[in-house]
Amino acid sequence: MELKLKNVSKEFDGVSAVSGVSVVMRKGVYGLLGVNGAGKTTLMRMLCTLIRPTAGEILWGGSDILEMGADYRNILGYLPQDFGYYPDLSVTDYMMYIASIKGIRPGAARKRTRQLLGQVGMAKYEKRKMKTLSGGMARRVGIAQAMLNNPKVLVLDEPTAGLDPNERIRFRNLISELAEDRLVLLSTHIVSDVEFIANQIMLMKSGKIFYQGTTEKLLSSMDESVWHCTVPKREVNDLVRRYLVGNVKSAPGGAELRILAKEPPTEQAVREEATLEDAFLLYFGEKVGGTDDTEI
Amino acid sequence: MILRYELKKVFSKKINRIVLIGTMLAAVALSMFAIGGVRYTDRNGTTHAGVTAARRLADDRNRWAGELTGDRIARAVGSRKEMNNRYSYDVPDEEYGKTVQAYDDIINFVINVLTPDTGWDENVLYQLEDEQAEDIYSIYRENQQKMAEEYGKTPRQRQFLEEQYGKIDLPLTYEAKDSWDTLMVYVETYGMILAIVIGFLAAGVFVEEFRVRADAVFFASRFGRTKAAGSKVLAGLLIATIVYWAGMGILLLISLGVMGISGSGTLYQINFPYSIYVMTYGQYCLLAVLGGYIASLLSASVTMLIAAKMRSANVAVCVPFFLFCVMQFIARALSGFLTFFKFTPDMLVNVIGCAKAPNIFQAGNLVFRQIPCVMLIYSVLAVILLPFVYKSYHCYNLR
Repeated sequence: MELKLKNVSKEFDGVSAVSGVSVVMRKGVYGLLGVNGAGKTTLMRMLCTLIRPTAGEILWGGSDILEMGADYRNILGYLPQDFGYYPDLSVTDYMMYIASIKGIRPGAARKRTRQLLGQVGMAKYEKRKMKTLSGGMARRVGIAQAMLNNPKVLVLDEPTAGLDPNERIRFRNLISELAEDRLVLLSTHIVSDVEFIANQIMLMKSGKIFYQGTTEKLLSSMDESVWHCTVPKREVNDLVRRYLVGNVKSAPGGAELRILAKEPPTEQAVREEATLEDAFLLYFGEKVGGTDDTEI
Repeated sequence: MILRYELKKVFSKKINRIVLIGTMLAAVALSMFAIGGVRYTDRNGTTHAGVTAARRLADDRNRWAGELTGDRIARAVGSRKEMNNRYSYDVPDEEYGKTVQAYDDIINFVINVLTPDTGWDENVLYQLEDEQAEDIYSIYRENQQKMAEEYGKTPRQRQFLEEQYGKIDLPLTYEAKDSWDTLMVYVETYGMILAIVIGFLAAGVFVEEFRVRADAVFFASRFGRTKAAGSKVLAGLLIATIVYWAGMGILLLISLGVMGISGSGTLYQINFPYSIYVMTYGQYCLLAVLGGYIASLLSASVTMLIAAKMRSANVAVCVPFFLFCVMQFIARALSGFLTFFKFTPDMLVNVIGCAKAPNIFQAGNLVFRQIPCVMLIYSVLAVILLPFVYKSYHCYNLR
């Protein structure tokens, strides 16, 4: 089974949010990278049948997902960027309610809820009201609810937004664990979220996906090399103006810089191995951010 | 299972719980007001109110319980006239407690029979001959005929009114009905409160997802646009039903439990002889309760629809207040649109007012009365709106 997007576009009041996206996704983890406002959330909402594309179609196994309706949603799990829940329900009740609207029978739902809450480390909080959970805990329940129906397509929109570094690592590991035998589409603007777990990377900018492939392929396709150099502080501004600078760190007698350039930016510059973050910097022309701004 | 959790979502919310507790407490408070509203005067002329007053009053009045033959009516009228001769208009409390209180309802009936369309005038009683009092039912029948002619604007309407009056079995059978009389006002007031509260609760059913931003997960779920939306509609109706009957049940149970149910079989015509609704006090109360229930269902349907469309409860919760409360004041201000305001939803919680007046309407050869018509219109409307509520969730953001 494959999820196929054929020339998918979405406009809001004449403003294009997603433009002519054509992608085929099969089993594995797909990391959708893009800056805020790139159109990632809009694309994901279309994949979850929350909004209708203005043009193009999205097919699952050859059938239009909007026409499939409940049948498609039956194999779909979704954790939205802005994950909301019913604050007065307990964790178990919340899970049971979502299970019920996913069409899971009560007996199976109870069993699956226990299993998933255990898997996400929330078993001991099952009686707690949702409103008493921390952001990280709520996100863990969020991923558990997305997994309730053992989905073939798991869509995770900015799942690590608002999490502290520890929770972020735990979350990444959890996604890795859950990714077996299904299609996971993980949208983020935080490169480290997908660097180690995504089989495929998709880069999205201004509503368009302009790259799809493995991290290795992406890195090998870069014309620029990554250079590390230490320069006197007075030269920093000049280098920042002339090159894409990924990192500036104060050092005794000057500053350490990580620069993307075809040629060594300074005589002392040492070539380093490129990372996904460097590719992100190259293609999006800015340093990877850590903010959780809502996007279109 | 979806339904169960939908209800749990509503009843687990703190604000809803507070509103519900407040509503149930209001039922208790209104019961107390109803109970405290009955006054009984004992043989010493002392007036009592409170828990025992209604039952003591019923015991006293039920001395006259039974078939109200012309002879018995004449006796009551004779006694009242004698009191009037002895004390003029100011009967002492002792005498009132000893004699007048017991047959007061019968005297009121006679006065009402004699003043079909002129308003209350006690003097007609004192001008009544003994023979006329004995033959009060003949006067009653004659006046019914006059009423039919006055209010029946077409032959079909006249025939309809005559048929309704013809259903009144004479002589009337009497039993003290003060508990029902007092209760009715509170049934209507509480019915209106419940309709507004139910609107508030039902609106929440369809905005909760948007309020807590859980809509994405909801609509991306298998049954989010189908069964779950249907369950929400059902939950709204169930909330209306549960809350209404629980609240109204408390009011009726406490009030009738304390005051007793004497008079449940007494014909409503004992108080309003020319009412075209031939029913007992028990049926009358049931009609008012039913009106309140239909108002509650309508309130739930309307608020659910507005909330689902607007994705906010702010406007939705105001609508029942407007429909059932403000509308009454608008009707009074715009007296030129009297006919229109006879069919507005507030009539559902104004059965007392509707039952008094001989309001009939005609469409073709069909003549109908106000209460059944209003009840039918709004029952149908409450049901008709439901598919639209469902559809607004079913097609949410997909058009």
